[in-house]
Amino acid sequence: MNRRPLALIASPLLAILLLGAVPLALVLVWSFWTWDPATYWIKPDLSLAGYGAILEAGRWTVIVSTLLKAAGTAALCVVLAFPIAYAVHFLSGPRLQTVLLALITIPFFTSYLIRAFSWRLVLGRTGIVNTTLQQLGLTQAPVDWLLFSNFAVVVGLVASYLPFAVFPLVLAFKRVSPDLLAAAQDLGAGFWRAVVTVLVPLTMSGIFAGFLFVFVMAAGSSTEVQMLGGAGASIISVMINDVMRVANYPLAFAISTIVLVVIFALVLIGNAAFGLASLFGEEER
Amino acid sequence: MTRRPVPSACASNIGRRQILKLMGLGGTALAAGGLGLGQRALAQEAGTVAFWATATLDIADKWPEFATQAGIAPEFTDNGNDLGPVIARLAAGNANDLFDVGGFQGGAEKELARQSAIVPWDLSKIPNYDSVWSWAKDIAYLKQDGKQYGIPTVINADSIIYRPDKLGKIDSYGAIFDPKLKGRVAMEDAWINSAIFTAMYLKESENQPIKDPGNLSESELGLVMEFLIKHKTDGQFRTFWNGWEQGVQLVADEEVDAMTGWEPIVYEGRKRGLQVEYAAPVEGYEGWGNNTVLLKGAEDRGTAEAAHRFVDGLLGGFYGCELGKARGYIVPTDKNLDYAKAHPTEYAPEEVEKLAEHVKAKFAGKVFWQNARPDNFQLYEEWWQKLRNA
Repeated sequence: MNRRPLALIASPLLAILLLGAVPLALVLVWSFWTWDPATYWIKPDLSLAGYGAILEAGRWTVIVSTLLKAAGTAALCVVLAFPIAYAVHFLSGPRLQTVLLALITIPFFTSYLIRAFSWRLVLGRTGIVNTTLQQLGLTQAPVDWLLFSNFAVVVGLVASYLPFAVFPLVLAFKRVSPDLLAAAQDLGAGFWRAVVTVLVPLTMSGIFAGFLFVFVMAAGSSTEVQMLGGAGASIISVMINDVMRVANYPLAFAISTIVLVVIFALVLIGNAAFGLASLFGEEER
Repeated sequence: MTRRPVPSACASNIGRRQILKLMGLGGTALAAGGLGLGQRALAQEAGTVAFWATATLDIADKWPEFATQAGIAPEFTDNGNDLGPVIARLAAGNANDLFDVGGFQGGAEKELARQSAIVPWDLSKIPNYDSVWSWAKDIAYLKQDGKQYGIPTVINADSIIYRPDKLGKIDSYGAIFDPKLKGRVAMEDAWINSAIFTAMYLKESENQPIKDPGNLSESELGLVMEFLIKHKTDGQFRTFWNGWEQGVQLVADEEVDAMTGWEPIVYEGRKRGLQVEYAAPVEGYEGWGNNTVLLKGAEDRGTAEAAHRFVDGLLGGFYGCELGKARGYIVPTDKNLDYAKAHPTEYAPEEVEKLAEHVKAKFAGKVFWQNARPDNFQLYEEWWQKLRNA
């Protein structure tokens, strides 16, 4: 048995175990413990109280709405990222590709806080959009629902996380030979038919990877919701924060565990269905 | 959820060097902890005090001057101003191993004393305490079982920020709940403030049976939160704001015409040319204080004497002048004015006096004290979730 690969992988594996698996395991175990007001910490009295509390005060609706919001954002990002990746791969030369990819990374150059905050200035009552609408005579008064609404939250999330969908798709497109599209069109398929029957199936791993990246980021975000959402708008991370503030740790851990289970399930299902690992394969199809 | 510091010129500048310094400190702490040497005593220099407080209390690059005057050098660490994690870290974590003096929002003293995480001050070792305004000494949270656990260090009172050019004069929290202002008002995204404002309104103007707006019973809390939920579902609130920048933006960009909030937002709005006023509501103000507490760890390490000298220094005048100049907040003592008069080139005495009189005038009327840790604090959170999800 060749021990060199094992030795090489040992340290990153150990790091993943210590920094990833162990904390997650602790979160899982602690979610069944009980808060102890005497010590202000938790004690190992096993209980489902944390999970039970999720059903109270409408907390479960926050979990569901967060997952829906994250899924919607991820789907929208993938839809927007697909033509971008197409343009980068099929329509651009090497130099333009570099420029386009650099432009896509621009959101990362600013703080997530500033990104979200700037949308308030764009979508607000005196913002650019409302001013333009009124100047064009399309509205007589500012449109209130542009800001402090689910619409604003989704705009903020898409703007923040779109690059996370673009890059896996670019990677997936790299593995698609332009000859395949040409062959499909030679055989009589129109552009859209070639895209739907050839390009989409061949890039499915990239589509899912992009969806997953954005989904995870959006599900864990809070700034966009707090800055752009309506009065008291919530999302899982805001709820966890609220709960931690009053030292209800078992509940915070229970919420986190449920989110982890959902995300792990999504990864496993996606991998089984779309072969995420193939995204990093060498061969061109 | 809680009061965030109003930024000063230097407060927002965390440079690479500072980050590296923090990383270095963190690394040192980890290394010491790993060797079983986590006790601060081993690393502490003589004449220093580890001050773990809300950033509101930070005077940044003025600490060296403070150290020269007080003869004690504070090592300031921002505690994040989130009392849940702060109390947990004191009760069950390592905060008492690392810090000597805490600076927290009022209301936490009861819980911290119960946990034996803090110990009483010896007022005979804080001569400047005599100069503290008497009504500030009377804040209920400061004493537990007759012992002095908190020293009032920064005090102010909050109410409503509003646009008189649009609304005329406002003198009641009723404006926040007035259907005529539907969609044009906001409250803070924090039960610690919004619940008490609402309770004050219901108690004083609607004659609802509320005993202490800062410490609501289960039924009182239900009454208050149902009222808020109804107004939220009616579309009364444009948003619930979070933090200084958002508060300023709501006013500056005319998103709201009235909102409950912090007075410095008014000053910022005026700086931007807006006509903004701070109401003196008939229901009273929400008083709040950041109090300094003596951590048990200081007593264990033998640094309690230094901690007393440090807190005496906070009340000595220079700190109050500096805090007033940088943030418009007041240390409740006339020592500020004495210091300004003795150093008129550094601090304008008339400005210091004006600020003091302004705050005193607020407290001359009705004030209900903010309570960072009401008895039913977990129930507050549960109701706040209901409000969010309504």
